[in-house]
Amino acid sequence: MTASTEGAERVIRRGLGLMLAGFAALAAVYLVALRFTPTERFQGLPQKIFYVHVPAAWCALLAFSLVGVGSILYLWLRDPRLDLFAESAAETGIVFSLVMLTTGPLWGKPIWGTYWTWDARLTFTLLLFFLFLGYRALRSAMHDPAERARYSAVVGILGMVLVPFVHLTVYLFPTLHPQPVVLKPSTPSLPGVMLRTLFLSLGSFTILLLGFLVTRYGLGREAEARGGSDGR
Amino acid sequence: MDADPQANAWFMWAAYSVAAVILVGYGVSLWRRTRTVGRSGGRAVGG
Repeated sequence: MTASTEGAERVIRRGLGLMLAGFAALAAVYLVALRFTPTERFQGLPQKIFYVHVPAAWCALLAFSLVGVGSILYLWLRDPRLDLFAESAAETGIVFSLVMLTTGPLWGKPIWGTYWTWDARLTFTLLLFFLFLGYRALRSAMHDPAERARYSAVVGILGMVLVPFVHLTVYLFPTLHPQPVVLKPSTPSLPGVMLRTLFLSLGSFTILLLGFLVTRYGLGREAEARGGSDGR
Repeated sequence: MDADPQANAWFMWAAYSVAAVILVGYGVSLWRRTRTVGRSGGRAVGG
């Protein structure tokens, strides 16, 4: 076993550990949110979707921002590990986007009366999701590692540019989507007990995001160490 | 008017179930990839 394979396996083990911790924390979030957090007075039980939808959105946007950061650093330093990091963050971001895009409509239907509406926040979020599916497709279609890394870095940076725009759409355009209750200039507009559950969920989802990201990155490193740059 | 607390509970259970299936499904797929990558000389990691 070579040193680089051993290093990759160490990364994978750390990632799996983080993933396990993330899942344990997620189980606690489910218990706290469903059993111990009060039901909101006007929306009833569907409001509890908030505790999975918002953290999933946070993780998706964080992961897509990391793709952009990794891509900028790759274009600057030309280190293939940064390209692999961006690729791993993109895959992770797609997973959390899927959670965001499925739980959102399930919350929208009982509250807005419709699963989907083509307003700015929802449309740009879907666009961002498709952009990163395109990023994945682009990577699969290109075989030269350096060329693949360069082109996908450009797409990754474009995706990152969209992230703050997605956050600001609720201020810039008329929308059905509620405005932020935590990430806003004034104090959070949420009762303390709900805010605590939200922060617990945000922390758990973030640990899970790190677990996915580190494991995926380690897998890529190991594949490269064993099978060359096309291994992943 | 206050909402009936149990009204539309189906949506909540559906959202929590879908989220769990997606996250656990991806976690399991990553774990399975860690099992196969060693055996196949690094060719089993999709992407």
